[in-house]
Amino acid sequence: MKANNELLIDDSSSFHKIVTEKSIDIKNVTVSFKSKGKGVFTAVKDINLEIGKGEIVSIIGHSGCGKSTLMNTISGMVSPSSGEVIANNKVVTGPGPDRGIVFQNYSLLPWLTVYKNVFEAVDSVLPHLSKAEKIELVEKNLNMVNLWEHKDKLPSQLSGGMKQRVAIARAFSINPSILLLDEPFGALDALTKGSMHIELLKLWNLDNRNKTIVMVTHDIEEAIFLSDRVVVMNNGPAATIKEIVDIPLARPRNKKDIIHLPEYIEVHDRLLNLLFDKFSIED
Amino acid sequence: MKNILSKYSPAGTLYFIGSMLILLAIWQLVTFVTKAEIPGPLATWAVFSEMLADPFYDYGPNDKGIGIQLWSSLKRVFIGFSLGSLVAIPLGLIMGSSKIGMKLLNPIVQILRPVSPLAWFPLGLLAFKASDQATIFIIMITSLWPTLINTAFGVSTIPADHKNVGKAFGFSRWKYITKILIPFSLPHIITGLRLSIGIAWVVIVAGEMLSGGVGIGFFVWDSWNGLSLEKILSAILIIGIVGLLFDKIFNVLQKTFSYESK
Ligand SMILES: Nc1ncnc2c1ncn2[C@@H]1O[C@H](COP(=O)(O)OP(=O)(O)O)[C@@H](O)[C@H]1O
Ligand SMILES: [Mg+2]
Repeated sequence: MKANNELLIDDSSSFHKIVTEKSIDIKNVTVSFKSKGKGVFTAVKDINLEIGKGEIVSIIGHSGCGKSTLMNTISGMVSPSSGEVIANNKVVTGPGPDRGIVFQNYSLLPWLTVYKNVFEAVDSVLPHLSKAEKIELVEKNLNMVNLWEHKDKLPSQLSGGMKQRVAIARAFSINPSILLLDEPFGALDALTKGSMHIELLKLWNLDNRNKTIVMVTHDIEEAIFLSDRVVVMNNGPAATIKEIVDIPLARPRNKKDIIHLPEYIEVHDRLLNLLFDKFSIED
Repeated sequence: MKNILSKYSPAGTLYFIGSMLILLAIWQLVTFVTKAEIPGPLATWAVFSEMLADPFYDYGPNDKGIGIQLWSSLKRVFIGFSLGSLVAIPLGLIMGSSKIGMKLLNPIVQILRPVSPLAWFPLGLLAFKASDQATIFIIMITSLWPTLINTAFGVSTIPADHKNVGKAFGFSRWKYITKILIPFSLPHIITGLRLSIGIAWVVIVAGEMLSGGVGIGFFVWDSWNGLSLEKILSAILIIGIVGLLFDKIFNVLQKTFSYESK
């Protein structure tokens, strides 16, 4: 515990992490869907992306460009039509407990209570734990998202933001080394969103920044605040990576302070321009 | 699948009473037009209350109380319906969860489903050499189709989102079945059961007219032979009320097991 705390305090202030170990390696990945009658639809094409262990990377891009599809190739829910994804030194062939997913649409099971939704995931991924340990894990993670007092409610009794927090607690509870978050804070109000950002970074810190986090978002400020790098995608079909932008801000970052930094303003402008290049001609 | 009679509110009760009054008025009107050839509510009530006064008398094979008749019909429906459901639910689960199962079984279902259950009666007689079992057999066949089709439909429409949860968190086959497949399909299965028992109750009357012996259908036929229209009308009322009760029971089950309304 002591060692952890020391590490927490000792913030390495390097902008660019010296990537020692690869966590995710997306190699030449193309994903095509066979659509009935319309032949083949290519969502993303020739994607190459290396993500180091403990990195936080955001993917931004317009709706339908293939962000979820790309995330799903990492989670193993979608297999690439060509190319391959390597996660934790293993070729991804399907979902696995080393990768925790928060789906874009929460994907809670509507007939299970909040508690049960998290518990079944824990029970499935960590069968060797005792019942008491499982319960403790569920409680800890539901407390983290402030939902313990709502543990007996069904998803239909929750707001969108609460559902999303259950999905987050569920993904965190299995303690994966890679967290895949598909628009995890999209349905949250600004206040809750802010505290979830802090929670996310806290968890990341607690684990000595060993967890790799890949996140899809629409929110440029969120991407800058949380990420080491932001991947900007082109519009689909056959979307590619437009540019990868480094975020040169030291951690820990303070939301109120960083927005005045010239680096912040520059990166913010850069991302805005990349996303909304209305005046440039499509190539 | 909403049952408009199932909401207990004062207004609902009033509407129900109003509806019954309309039925009685039409009935009375028919009696009036047919010059009492068809007995009216009052004449029927006299016979009906007499029947209810001693429902379980037993004066030999051709003269039993209405309670005994009703009970033996209920027993047959219950046995046939249970057997049918025991076949239909697993088959439906297979059809719904496997494309091959669907492709192999669906044509059989499509061909057999439109056949009137009564057409199976002779085969039942041949197989069981007893009209009682033959009646249960046709009830079983009747109960198959709605349950089978609704179960298969339920299972085949499990949303990708739910399946993805199972995949993402590595649910075992057992966990997938008990935590995703069954909970999602249960409301559909109960809808199927509800339709099945409704049709089974319709068919039992016709079946017992064919089979004779004892039962509410036989009672109707026997009353016709004995030219007691009052008894026939009483039996019709009883059949209708029991059918309504079946529907109510399954409506309650449906509400209990539907996760949306909780
Ligand atoms: N299973 C699928 N079958 C066919 N097309 C799909 C499938 N999943 C995604 N797509 C298509 O791929 C494109 C990218 O989708 P998605 O990755 O969900 O976009 P984003 O998450 O960036 O909004 C969309 O045009 C979508 O219609
Ligand atoms: Mg998406």
